[in-house]
Amino acid sequence: MYNLFLLNTYHKESGDTMSLNYWLTNVCLEKGYRYEHGAVTGTETENCHLLVESGKIAKIVTADTLLDDHLPKQDVHNLLALPSFTEKHVHLDKTLLGDNWRAVTPVASIFERFEIEKRVLPSLPTTTSVRAKALIEVLLQAGSTHIRTHVDIYQEAGLKNFFEVQEALSAYEGKLSYEIVAFPQHGLLRNNCADLVRDAVRNGAGLVGGVDPANVDGNMEKSLQQMMDIAVEGNADIDLHLHDPGQLGLATIRRLAKLTEEAGWQGRVAVSHAFALGDMGKGEADEMAQMLSKLGISIITSVPIGRTIPPVSFLHDKGVQVAVACDNIFDSWSPFGNGDILERASRLAELSGRSTEQKLAETLGFITGGITPLDKNGQQVWPKVGDEASIVFTEASCSAEAIARRSNRPAVLYRGKLVSGGFTKG
Amino acid sequence: MIDCMKHSSYWLINVRLETGYQYYNRIITGTDTSIFHILIENGKYAKIVPESTLINDDVIKYDAQKWLLLPTFKEMHIHIDKTYYGGPWKAVTPAKSIFDRFAEEKELLPQLLPTAKERAEQILDLLIGFGSTHVRTHVNIDPVVGLKNLEASLEALQTFSGKVSSEIVAFPQHGLLHSGVESLVREALNNGATHVGGVDPHSVDGNIEKSLDTIIEMAVDTNSEVDIHIHDRDHLGLFTMSRLADLTEQAGLHNKVTVSHAFGFAGIPDTKAAELAERFANLGIAITTTVPIGKIIMPLPLLKEKGVQVSLGTDSLTDHWSPFGNGDNLEKAGRLAELYGYVDEWSLSQSLGFITGGKTPLNKQGKQVWPVIGDDADMNLVKASCSAEAVARRATREAVFYKGTLLSGSLSL
Repeated sequence: MYNLFLLNTYHKESGDTMSLNYWLTNVCLEKGYRYEHGAVTGTETENCHLLVESGKIAKIVTADTLLDDHLPKQDVHNLLALPSFTEKHVHLDKTLLGDNWRAVTPVASIFERFEIEKRVLPSLPTTTSVRAKALIEVLLQAGSTHIRTHVDIYQEAGLKNFFEVQEALSAYEGKLSYEIVAFPQHGLLRNNCADLVRDAVRNGAGLVGGVDPANVDGNMEKSLQQMMDIAVEGNADIDLHLHDPGQLGLATIRRLAKLTEEAGWQGRVAVSHAFALGDMGKGEADEMAQMLSKLGISIITSVPIGRTIPPVSFLHDKGVQVAVACDNIFDSWSPFGNGDILERASRLAELSGRSTEQKLAETLGFITGGITPLDKNGQQVWPKVGDEASIVFTEASCSAEAIARRSNRPAVLYRGKLVSGGFTKG
Repeated sequence: MIDCMKHSSYWLINVRLETGYQYYNRIITGTDTSIFHILIENGKYAKIVPESTLINDDVIKYDAQKWLLLPTFKEMHIHIDKTYYGGPWKAVTPAKSIFDRFAEEKELLPQLLPTAKERAEQILDLLIGFGSTHVRTHVNIDPVVGLKNLEASLEALQTFSGKVSSEIVAFPQHGLLHSGVESLVREALNNGATHVGGVDPHSVDGNIEKSLDTIIEMAVDTNSEVDIHIHDRDHLGLFTMSRLADLTEQAGLHNKVTVSHAFGFAGIPDTKAAELAERFANLGIAITTTVPIGKIIMPLPLLKEKGVQVSLGTDSLTDHWSPFGNGDNLEKAGRLAELYGYVDEWSLSQSLGFITGGKTPLNKQGKQVWPVIGDDADMNLVKASCSAEAVARRATREAVFYKGTLLSGSLSL
């Protein structure tokens, strides 16, 4: 009922969808930590009004300020503002959301799984695009306004899934930002699909993917080099699925790092899963973290349970960029997953014992691309004038509570536009 | 919207029940269901007839809209007496040891006392909404609060009389011996507590033998059951549990003892764990777990395989021990399935038993065994096509009934 003028912004012509200026009133912002005996025991907040201009925050004033202009006002009823979330690893082409329930068929190897998935997906009555859209809706509701999706590229499917996912995402133009990884799920070498991956990059994939250069492709060196070549040739970033464990996985990361350095691809490479990092000995951990940090190689984890995962807190403390992501959301690989990245962050906090105010609050950074309202010293660093008005409005008193309690998110804004939920007072 | 409480009998029509597993190449790939009408009389299942049956009596009918019927859940380990739930947010303050936490409780519990009953009621309300109609709560029995948390919990449970069944563990959180509360625990057992509790006979009480002896003796004296928190790890925990098994056997407390957490089963060789698991199964010593996902991973599949009764509990529901925990036992079952790789139809479907006291609509062989005529109509209507989907996808609970009475959700005529 309060959303009419926001909805109007969707339909403005000439692509300039954010020209409407308005006030978000009574926004709860984190202001600083509360300390007792030198320890952080809580979070101070303040109610403010935020002026949104062209999708950005143009002014921040305290809530007792009289607004005497004639701009529209959207009362957000003291909901807590958090930076909107970044979903760094999903597979929009694999999900079964929107289709009937089916459990996962047990398999003896990843290769059997490939075959099942290859057979199942084309047999479904729903299209890839329809299922992808169902998942995008779920992601937006959770508060993610940026999506990095992998899309399977292999001989039998060609670029069909890629184009369908691209179409689904383009239907959300202006409601979120996205990047597509051309992902040779069945092996870049094994499936001999380098040309298809190149084709996908030419057609808009911003990243080149890969999977287990050793255990899937059977030739670590050639697999990594080919992936890197395609990336450089197409000016694309890299996001490699690496499940290979132990020293094998660590060796793969070291080779990838070397190739990254040689190609000058610093800051453009990510390793997803990276389970091997969980197997590092004390001696090699420091060196590895330093290398990843120096080359800007980021780590993405879906926080699987019951297996070794990268030492997130250690890596983060050493300056390695780490992101938490959802990965499988009801597909041929897993019947679980609900697309709620805040729940994923909460899981990370729970399994790594982040239960104090500050540790919980910091956990938010893993799902926002590093942005937290307060920095380490409790200084407010978000939102600032000039920041994009991409905000998750949360029924919580602070970030820490939002993480621990997986608080409800009644409304999500992307560049000033309401993209999920609304502000009706509950 | 209905109030089933007003009718001693009613038909629940268009109910989806599981009838068997589907097989493909001898592998279970799905679950068969059919639509039935169920007559509820005096809170029990009185008749179950196929969809095609014409009902021509005058008994009032409510439409279950082809939602799936499941047994209600059991919350087997929670502390309704000490929580921040329903109050302002508070994170956990760092503590070096469990004794720091006790010190914190000495300050905190008196502060929580004025809101204890109200918050306990809010937790019970939350649990019911998630489909649980049985609650085993621990209540602190310690030198600071005495029996006051017990009183608050009893009052809260009284408010929910006719809506949940309950058990109360008299829990000497600060150590039965360590805080010298033996007589208080005895008093609690004479005033509504059903179970003798305990915590880490070595790490907290500092005397495994005396601690366990005292617990068992009290249970025998007062004809109570036992539920002990044992966090002590690996071989120490295992040894403690093994002594508990000895004492249980000697006292003849078969089927009356539970170990909560039971971390001693983790981090030791499987053969050792299997050995004690077999003893537990024979003595009917049950395990309750929160399904930890951090450093300790419990060998729950092994315990189950050996025949130990394993139940799940929320434990902390945002309190000074942990800011997590949400009271949703179906989510807990889903976590268990995810943790142990129960991803196929059969494993997912059977994992429902962890939160229902072992009840599943289909038995292991796929034979329909629930609901049974004459049983209490403790039932959940969920938005799912089968148990497996309900567990994996955390199905929404549309209506929750206890003994035929609608507690949560709504139905139309």
